[in-house]
Amino acid sequence: MRFLVLFFITFLTVHAEDTLLLDAHIKMIPKIMALNTRIATKGSSSKSLLAIVYEGNRKKMAQNIAYGIDQTHNGKVANITFDTIVLSSEELLSRRDISFVYLTKMGTPSTKKIASWGIENSIPTFSYDVSDLDEGILGSIAIERSTIIYINKTTLKEGKFRFNDTLFQIARLTE
Amino acid sequence: MNRFKNARLSSKLFITLVATFLIIFATITLVTFIIVRDLTMSTQKEKAELLIDAVEPSISLSLFLGVKDMGNKLSSITRLDEVIALQITDGNGKSVLDYHQYGSASSYETIKISKNLMEPSSLKPIGTITLTYSGEEFSKTMDRFYTLYGWIALSVFVILWIMLIWINRLLLPIKLIAKKVRNFKPGEKITFDIPYAQREFSQIIHAFKVMQESVWNYSHEIETINKNLEIKIAEQTHEATRHLYFDNLTSLPNRLKLQEDLSTKPTNTVAILNIDDFKEINDFFGIDAGDWLLSQIAHWLVEMKLYPYRLGGDEFAFRLKQGSTPAEFRHNIEMLLSLLSEKLFMIADETVHVRATVGIAIDSDKPLIHADVALNKARSTKQPFSVYDQSEGIEQQYQANIAMSARIRQALVEHRIVCQYQPIVSTLSGKIEKFETLVRIKNEDDSLIAPYDFLPIAQKTKLYHHITQEVVYQACNLFAARHEQFSINLSGSDILDSRTVATIENILRQTGTADRVIFEILESEGIENFDEVALFISRMKSLGAKIAIDDFGTGYSNFENILKLNVDILKIDGSLIKSINENPRHKIVVEAIVHFAHRIGIDTVAEFVSSEEILQNITDLGITYAQGFHTGKPQFLNQQLM
Repeated sequence: MRFLVLFFITFLTVHAEDTLLLDAHIKMIPKIMALNTRIATKGSSSKSLLAIVYEGNRKKMAQNIAYGIDQTHNGKVANITFDTIVLSSEELLSRRDISFVYLTKMGTPSTKKIASWGIENSIPTFSYDVSDLDEGILGSIAIERSTIIYINKTTLKEGKFRFNDTLFQIARLTE
Repeated sequence: MNRFKNARLSSKLFITLVATFLIIFATITLVTFIIVRDLTMSTQKEKAELLIDAVEPSISLSLFLGVKDMGNKLSSITRLDEVIALQITDGNGKSVLDYHQYGSASSYETIKISKNLMEPSSLKPIGTITLTYSGEEFSKTMDRFYTLYGWIALSVFVILWIMLIWINRLLLPIKLIAKKVRNFKPGEKITFDIPYAQREFSQIIHAFKVMQESVWNYSHEIETINKNLEIKIAEQTHEATRHLYFDNLTSLPNRLKLQEDLSTKPTNTVAILNIDDFKEINDFFGIDAGDWLLSQIAHWLVEMKLYPYRLGGDEFAFRLKQGSTPAEFRHNIEMLLSLLSEKLFMIADETVHVRATVGIAIDSDKPLIHADVALNKARSTKQPFSVYDQSEGIEQQYQANIAMSARIRQALVEHRIVCQYQPIVSTLSGKIEKFETLVRIKNEDDSLIAPYDFLPIAQKTKLYHHITQEVVYQACNLFAARHEQFSINLSGSDILDSRTVATIENILRQTGTADRVIFEILESEGIENFDEVALFISRMKSLGAKIAIDDFGTGYSNFENILKLNVDILKIDGSLIKSINENPRHKIVVEAIVHFAHRIGIDTVAEFVSSEEILQNITDLGITYAQGFHTGKPQFLNQQLM
């Protein structure tokens, strides 16, 4: 039932996005967030914050994704409880309490700013679009022959991110 | 167990070695097997676990992230031939992956390893991975192990077999030594030609050689000792034979030699010579002088070329020489007796005449016995010699005597010695006042044997005292219940036998008949053994018994002795009484006896009163009692009064 609702919403509102890929992102992003070994140091409250960032008129799209994550994970993944919030790219850059950032489709300048912000604040940034890794975004998930996690090796080093080592066994690292 | 104890040394060594080898080999094999098995299994498990460990994080993460496609992650292990199967299930038990190697239907044992898949961050179980690993390598390793130990076992068996042969060869010298020693005989020398020998065997051989040398020396000594012993034994045997067959005093061959000579040589004519009155010579000159005389006689007989034997005591024997006739032999014996009667022998400067009596048995089947019988006959007939004559029946008489002796003995055992009692009647009153006890032997058929048939034989066979004691016992017990006097005959030997006298005294005391018993003693006994008889009379009279002199009037009839012996009754001999009517001389003798008896105040008894005429006659002569068939025959009495 949950999947039907999710499919219906996605069909109505996010027709511009790849539904299958988006669905994979909704399922995996919170879990990748949980693999961040430094997540405890992030955020002021006991709950982690997963920010869904949009640009321009794509707030609705971001909200739908946040809604999908809440519905799928119910604010808890592994031993981490989290809240999913929707922020514009400008709002994000003024925040420091964010634990993990997921970027919807947006323009390259904003993507670069957010990537730099993430590196500066050592906040992992994942993007819907794999090509954003060229802009300095930390990672993304793509579906090719199988589901593949891409991680930007340069950003990983610059941002001094720490993830569970296993992640690197299954992820594909790019320069 | 006993079979092992008695087994050969080589077998024992081999069995012990085999047992030791087997125990050690089995232990090592077992331990090695367990180690190899566990180690191989452990290694295979570790490999399988390593494989799981290699993929487990990424699988866990994939499962955590919900990535369904795990093929590329697992290809590193699924491409291995050893991985038979791989199953992955999620937390709900739902199968996420179920991989089976194509064509993996292997007959080998498999190893199945399962491991929980953990959530990467929280380490909570989110699924299970199960790897089925091929046991091919384990099985192959174990097969190699079995093959290796099979070869080792075979090698051990071969080694043991070689060892058995080697042990047998090693102990071969013992067998050879044992064989040599088994056939060893004292006095022989054995050589030990052992082809090879260890030092131990050399030492044994050396020890055997030393022992052999000792045994050889010892056997040599024993041989020398044996030879000396044989010489000594021969000497001793010769000496023993000499003692056995020759008389020590005269050095003449003895009775045994004569018996042997008689049994081995055909001659069976023998003469036995007995020196007359040799006892008196012994008593007069002493035993040494008697022996000296016997030596001289023997020497003289040898000089006479009669080849004498000494039978013992004063008896010599001669055997008919081969080639002589019995007539010549008899003539020679007569000549010998004639010459002997003229020969003078010297005893301590005294000259002694020696006479001899000879018994001759000619062509006899029992020459010694028959010669002895003839000798007895010659002595009893006072002839210088006598020749055995079978027709005289002397030997039969001897046989009869032996038979009678046996009958007496049997009668004593079976209580068939019985007594009859002959009345003794008072000539004054005509009443029976006494009885004389007369002994009989009762045969099995109740017939009676008269005393003159057995008493002389009993006297010679020492049975007489037993008969006397039996008679005294029966008579005293009978007359204990009666009132008459009774008489019992005693011989001189009875009186001289202290045991018989003591028995008589005891019986008299026990029956209380001492004051009514009369002991009849022959006058001759009192003369020959005066002191002993006087003592007996004194002892009996002190008990209350009376003494009668039996058969008085014949023989010495010495009145002085009668006075000395203090007797109570004179029984006048029957030979005087039975002819008193016809023979006036007998009557005179009887009158004298009766007169003497009256004068000293003792009673008289006339025996053999066989008629009224005799009874009247003796009554007229003043004899106080009469005994004979006319006044009463011997009869059995009971304890009731007549």
